[in-house]
Amino acid sequence: MDFVKKLILITAALLALGLAGFAQQTYQMTVYFDYSHFITTDGYLTSNALTNKFHFRRAYFNYENKISDNLKFRFRYDADNTANLTSVDFVKQTVKKDDKLRPFVKHIFLEYSINWLQSKFNIGMIETMAFKLSEDRWGLRSVAKTFADGYKDITGESIDMTSADMGITWKGVVSKELRFGLGVHNGSHYSHVEGDKYKKFSGYVQIVPVNGISLVGYADMERQAEGKDAVTYKVDALINLIPKANLVFEWLQYDSDLKAYKSGGWSAYATYQITAGKLGIFFRYDNYQPNMSDSNKDMSLIIAGLDWFAWGKACRIQPNVWIYNYKNSAKKTDVAGVVTFFMTF
Amino acid sequence: MNEKWIKILVLAGLALAIVFTPVLMSQSRKMIQVKGSDTLVNLVQILAENFMEKNPSVPLAVLGGGSSTGISALLNGTCDIADASRDWKQKEFDQAWEKGIKVKLFALAIDGLSIVVNEKNPLNELTMDQVAALYRGEVKKWKDVGGADLKVSLYGRQSNSGTYAFLLEHVLKNKPYSTDMKEMNGNAQIIEGILSDEAGIGYTGVGYVVDKSTGQVMKGLKVLKISKAKGQPSYSPLDKEAVYSGNYPISRALWQATNGTPTGGVKAFIEYELSPEGQKVVEAEGFFPIQGPLAEKNRENLK
Repeated sequence: MDFVKKLILITAALLALGLAGFAQQTYQMTVYFDYSHFITTDGYLTSNALTNKFHFRRAYFNYENKISDNLKFRFRYDADNTANLTSVDFVKQTVKKDDKLRPFVKHIFLEYSINWLQSKFNIGMIETMAFKLSEDRWGLRSVAKTFADGYKDITGESIDMTSADMGITWKGVVSKELRFGLGVHNGSHYSHVEGDKYKKFSGYVQIVPVNGISLVGYADMERQAEGKDAVTYKVDALINLIPKANLVFEWLQYDSDLKAYKSGGWSAYATYQITAGKLGIFFRYDNYQPNMSDSNKDMSLIIAGLDWFAWGKACRIQPNVWIYNYKNSAKKTDVAGVVTFFMTF
Repeated sequence: MNEKWIKILVLAGLALAIVFTPVLMSQSRKMIQVKGSDTLVNLVQILAENFMEKNPSVPLAVLGGGSSTGISALLNGTCDIADASRDWKQKEFDQAWEKGIKVKLFALAIDGLSIVVNEKNPLNELTMDQVAALYRGEVKKWKDVGGADLKVSLYGRQSNSGTYAFLLEHVLKNKPYSTDMKEMNGNAQIIEGILSDEAGIGYTGVGYVVDKSTGQVMKGLKVLKISKAKGQPSYSPLDKEAVYSGNYPISRALWQATNGTPTGGVKAFIEYELSPEGQKVVEAEGFFPIQGPLAEKNRENLK
C-alpha cells in the first residue's frame, strides 16, 4: 500500500471517529480580484497591447469542522484560472483549454492537538511549513504571495516550494522562546500526484529570544533522482516591536543537484495598521537571484500600497503599485498600478 | 525609470492622499474596541454606556463572541481590551510573546459560576463530582443523582467560551463534555433553554440568573447549591461570602487584558471600571466586586 493510500485511510478513520462526537462548523468564502493598469508601456512585461485589465485571481471556499476540543477538520476549495483544462476530446485525442476559474482541492486535512509541547499534528493535504509564518505576518495574500511562495511566478524559476502538499506535519512549542516543526510530504505539491518514491522532509526551528522578535530557520530536502538531491534553506526574522506593525526579512536559497546553479534572494516588508480593522499601509522590497551564477538575471520588485477596510472585514480595497527593475539593462522597468478588491463572507 | 511615469506616480500618490485624508482624519477620534467574553458583555456594555455619558469624547464599542475570540483579537491587534471569563492559557501567553504583545491583566469582577435547572426540578444541590458526571454524560438520568425519573438535558456553551473552558478544567478535570450537550451561543440562550426544559441543566455567570427588576432569581429558574464533595456543606453562588471565601467551589475572576500598560481612553475606561463607582455597577449586575490582592494587582498594572 503506498503512502497516499495509507494517508487517506488514516484520515478517513480519524474523521469517522471524530464525527461521532459533537462538531462546530464554520464556512467562509473569500474572493479577490484586481483592476491593474500598466503605467509603463515599454517595459519588459508591460506593453501597449495590454494596458489595463480586470483580473479575477482567487476564490476560496473554506469549511472547518471542530470535531472535538482537540480534533479539527478542514476542507478548502480553491479556484483560479491556471487550472484551465476544460475537457478531453477522446476522438480527436485533444484537450480544450481556456482561462475560466476552476476549482481544485487545496486543503483536506485533520488537525489533532495534544497538550504535550502544545503539539499539533496535521495529516492529509496540508499547509506546508515553508512560508506559513511569514505569510501570516504579511497578511496580504490578496495583494501578493510572499517572496518564496511567489518566486516562480515572478522569476519563472522553479524553487520547488508549495503552500500545500500531501503529508504529515508535527508542530510544537518547547517553551515560549523555542518552537519547532517537522514534516514529511510527497513533494509533488497539491497540483500533482506523487510521481516518484522520494519524499520531501522539512523542518523549522523558531527562536523567540525577546518579546516580539522571532528568528526562524527552515530547511527541506528531497531526492530528485538517484544521488541527486534538492535542498531549500530559508531564514526569516519576524519583528513586532511597534504595536500594530510587522517587519519581516526573508532570505532564501535553493540548491538542486539537477541544476548547474543555485537560486535565491531576499525580501523585506513592513505592514502597519494605522487604525486596526480600518486602514493599513504596506511596503515590500524583493531581491530575486534566479541564477546565482549569472547576476545579469537579477531583478527586484517593490510593492507598496494601502489596505482600506471599506466595509469592515467583509470588503477591503487595496490600491497598490508594483515596480519591477532588472539588472539586465536590455529589460526596461515595469510599473503597474493595481487596485485589489478583497471580499470575505 | 522614465520621467513620464515618475510624474504619474507622484500624481497617483497625491490622488490617494486626497482620497484617504478624510479617512485618516475620521480615525483621529478612535473608537476603543472591547471584545470577548459573553459572560462579561452585558456588564461591560453598561459600564461603557455610563463611562461615555461622562466622557463623550471617548467612544467605546463592546462586542461578545467568547473569551477565545477576544483574546485572539488582542493578539491580532484588532481590539484594545479583551474580555475573558477564564484564565489565559499558556499557549496564548506564548503567542503574545511571539507577537510582541505585552499582556496586562485586570480583574474586573468575581463570578460565582452558577449551575441552573428548571424550577420544577426537585433537586436543590449537587456535589462537584455529580456536576462533572452529568456534564461528561456518565449520569444520564436525574434519578441517579436524587432527582426525577427524567433524561438529563445538558445545556452548555461553544468551545470558544471561557465559561466552557473554565468548567472543563475546574469541574470536568479536562475530561470531555458529553456529546449530547446542546452548545448554545450565549448565557441568555442557556437560560432560555432551561426555562422551557424541565429536565434541563445549564451553567452561566451569576449575573445572568437574577431578574434585575426584582432582585430575585429569575422566575422559572433554580440556582443549585454546590458542595466540594459528598457530605460537605453546599453553598449558593448568590452567597457573596461563600464566593469570596472559596467555599462556593466554582468561583472565578473575570478578566480584561490590554497590550501593555493602558494609556489614554483605554486607561480612563479601566480606571472607571475599577473605581468604587464602576464596582457598584458590577454588584448591581449580579457579580461581586474586586477586593484584596486582586485589587492591589489591578492598581499595579495601571501604573
